[in-house]
Amino acid sequence: MSSDSKKPTPKPAAKKPQEKPVEIPAFEKGISDKIVEKFGDKIEVAFVKKDRVRINVSKENVHDVAEFIRDGLNYDHVESVSGVDYPQDKEIEVVYHIGSYSDSSLERQILILSTRAQREENPIPGNDATKLPSLRDIFYSVEFHEREVFEMLGVYFEGHPDNRRLLLPEDWADLPPLRKDFAIKGR
Amino acid sequence: MTAELPPGLALQKVDERIMTLNVGPQHPGSGHMRIVVQIDGDYIVACDPDPGYVHRGEEKMAEYRNYITNIPHLERPVIHDSCNVLYPYVLGVEELLGIEVPERAKYVRVIASELNRCIYIMYWLAIYGIFLGHSTMFMWPAGDRELLIDLMEKMTGARVTHAHFVPGGVRNDLPPNFEDVCLRQVNYFEKRIKEYAAVFYDNPILISRTRDTGILSRQDAIRLGTTGSVLRASGVDYDLRKKEPYDVYDELDIHTNVMKEGDSYARSRIPWLDMIESCKIIKQALQKMPKSGSVRVKLKPNPKGKNETVYKRVESGRGSLGCYVVSDSKPEPYRVKLSVPSFRNLIALPYLLKGEKLGNMPSVYWSLNYWPVEADR
Amino acid sequence: MSVIAPNFKLSEFIKSLLDNAFWGVLLMVLVGIPAVMMVLFFIEMPVINGELLTPFLALTWLADPSRILPVVHAFMATDMFRVMAFPGFGFAALLAAGTIFVERKMLAKLQLRVGPFYCGKIEGILQLMGDGLKLISKEIIIPAKADKPLFWAAPVIFVGAAAAFVALIPVAPGWVVADVDLGLLGVFAVIGFFPIITILSAWSANSKFPFIGGIRALFQMVSFEIPLILSLLGVVILTGTLNLSEIAASQSSFPWIVFLPIGAIVFFITMLAELERIPFDLPEAESEIVAGWLTELSGMMYGLVQLGTYLKLYAFAALFVVLFLGGWNGPMIVPPFPAEILTDGIVMGPITAKIPGLPLFTQEMLNGTLWFVLKTVGVIFFILLPRGVFPRIRIDMLLNLGWTKLIGLAFVNIFIALGLLYAGVLGPGGLQ
Repeated sequence: MSSDSKKPTPKPAAKKPQEKPVEIPAFEKGISDKIVEKFGDKIEVAFVKKDRVRINVSKENVHDVAEFIRDGLNYDHVESVSGVDYPQDKEIEVVYHIGSYSDSSLERQILILSTRAQREENPIPGNDATKLPSLRDIFYSVEFHEREVFEMLGVYFEGHPDNRRLLLPEDWADLPPLRKDFAIKGR
Repeated sequence: MTAELPPGLALQKVDERIMTLNVGPQHPGSGHMRIVVQIDGDYIVACDPDPGYVHRGEEKMAEYRNYITNIPHLERPVIHDSCNVLYPYVLGVEELLGIEVPERAKYVRVIASELNRCIYIMYWLAIYGIFLGHSTMFMWPAGDRELLIDLMEKMTGARVTHAHFVPGGVRNDLPPNFEDVCLRQVNYFEKRIKEYAAVFYDNPILISRTRDTGILSRQDAIRLGTTGSVLRASGVDYDLRKKEPYDVYDELDIHTNVMKEGDSYARSRIPWLDMIESCKIIKQALQKMPKSGSVRVKLKPNPKGKNETVYKRVESGRGSLGCYVVSDSKPEPYRVKLSVPSFRNLIALPYLLKGEKLGNMPSVYWSLNYWPVEADR
Repeated sequence: MSVIAPNFKLSEFIKSLLDNAFWGVLLMVLVGIPAVMMVLFFIEMPVINGELLTPFLALTWLADPSRILPVVHAFMATDMFRVMAFPGFGFAALLAAGTIFVERKMLAKLQLRVGPFYCGKIEGILQLMGDGLKLISKEIIIPAKADKPLFWAAPVIFVGAAAAFVALIPVAPGWVVADVDLGLLGVFAVIGFFPIITILSAWSANSKFPFIGGIRALFQMVSFEIPLILSLLGVVILTGTLNLSEIAASQSSFPWIVFLPIGAIVFFITMLAELERIPFDLPEAESEIVAGWLTELSGMMYGLVQLGTYLKLYAFAALFVVLFLGGWNGPMIVPPFPAEILTDGIVMGPITAKIPGLPLFTQEMLNGTLWFVLKTVGVIFFILLPRGVFPRIRIDMLLNLGWTKLIGLAFVNIFIALGLLYAGVLGPGGLQ
């Protein structure tokens, strides 16, 4: 469907709404328009679908954008923080799924905020360039999610108060396991 | 390197008055996790949950299997709620593959997922009972749960790990005469769980013990991003079955149970009310279900997903359960992330236990509707 | 198809049996009988029916009931019998074992389960024996940093204290191990031992969960001892004695629960707390502190503590019966011993057996024991019942209950007793 078949990035998916502009729902479009209006070129709207808006941000701007999402758009909690490893791009993507309980019009909406950190070939979790600003001071609910992403992909969140391991054993000395170069035996 | 440890990794200095208790992983009151509790006398001054003892790398495994073979292992995090834990993944894969599900299959899914919700809550309630020292409340739900497990066995062929939902519908059609048996069992079950009020929920000792302990205010429940019964016990009316209806939930009449108190008692009562509500939903679905028709769309072997990302969520027995699937046009998903309610509710544990008495730890901990295996995935 | 013993030969099996029998007989003749004789040589044997009871005579009498019964009579009069068997340890242990069995079955019925079922043909009646064997055969693990002498001693002292408690209970008129004038004070003294044993055991284990459990037990027992003692003062005021046998005998017309229901209720609640039964089982609250002060005990050490706990349960229930429910008093329902057996002997066809010394127990004693057991079983049933109905309460609620409500009620009870006494309803010149 997409011309870019070599690389699995979510960016090509951004072209999809433009292929069928009829399907863009008005309310979700309004949300993305507000963000675009505020930040302009600093962000990229990946797609606008029913109940889902996806925004790609560089790591320098992610803190500001998140702050605007909370204060300007009434989103109040993060449902999930997922790390996705892209070895070909030498990047690790961190995706925040942000929702809202307090605003009744946003109850079915999920705003997907994605940002990317630099990826190291030989990671030293916490002491290499794979770093992102933590969103914990904006969304308190990311605390455990960011700890999980740190141990599973080695993305260190600067400003996070508690960077211990969560799920992995304390003596885990291998690669962060959700990186693509951590291979499962026999597969 | 020792001098420059990142925040959170350095060793802490602890007062001599403080005793550190390792509650778990081998402890009758912890489940498969460890709660490091620091107590001063009878009061908890700090609590640090340490999950991960049953981490099985479901997300990593999912990257190596194709969309269909992922089904049996992705339901393992909560085998008691296996239909619901699989549901968002199946919905997501259906969107990625572009499949439309037959009407009858949607109703079968609703019935299965509501039955599963009851099965899960019964198990949860049993453990809540034994955590409070009420052994009758351990045995009754564990026994009455068998009714529904028998139903699920009739429907799917397995007692707990059903693997019943597949992209495009459900694996098998209902057995003949299932509707009557289901209606009869569910009617009895509903009558039976209402009796629990007399022995458990209206018990004065239980009420005096759990009222006003571990209070989670509405603001904090939202700020901490809790979900499910924890959120609804704090006065937030949020149920995905109603707010973002999937499959045929928009055609059914669903009542959301909300309580304002936000204490352990409210958090423990909400799942029980949910079960009664689930019984009503099952009866409605049995009535409205098309009596015949296909239950499954035939898939191509090894289907490939669109080059897209999809995030789907359902209301499970513990709260909203999301699944984020990244596809790269291959038969295997590029990344599957389960955003599980237990993991989201866990963040409230240190917050709630701070300043509580040690005796309240089990009731507060288990009232979070927490399933350790699910949080570890 | 599998065969259990593929190399089985009947001849070898019979040979092995005969071998075993041969060695058994040989060892008995060469070692067993001489050992018994040598031991008996140093023991002073009683004189029965004008004959010195030599070992040979005793062995020959075993076959003749008319001659063995006086021996049994002589034995029953000894302190040994009272301590080991009837009003003492054996009787209490039997009732305690019955309690455990009834508790399991009753709780199982309450919770829609079966309970013990397979061990023993009838309803799992041998389950307790199986559990005991299991506990005996288990390894005893001592924590590395435990204070070993104290840790070893604690379960034994616990059983000892419980047995001492049992010894003070009068079961039937004249049937009590230790008939002391200050019996009730003795009871208070023995009850005061339990928190000390608990905290010693918990402290010596040198582990956190037993420590918390021991501290909880100490809090609980000490704070409930005061209402316990106060609630019994009413009975003492009305009877004017501390001797438990006299207290029981004083209730021949009516039990004290009629006049002192508040005291009985307070005593029952404090009893539950002293016994660490649900809803007051905080020292063993498993979801909080594993098994409380029992956490580090293993094998038969745990078994001993359980035995002590159930002996204590029996003793408390018996104390309740003695103090409030009239002890052994009750209508005479045991039929008198048939007189024709005494006069004519037992006639079995052509044979007539005249057996001297036959009524082994008097009618009063049998009747008293029957009533006592019936009442005790009833009280035990009510002690067991809350376990199926109530959840555990919290330590602060427990202390609040003990220090404010129960002590207040116990004082109300004392005032009621004093009022009855001074109004002349009871006591000297009154009804009794």
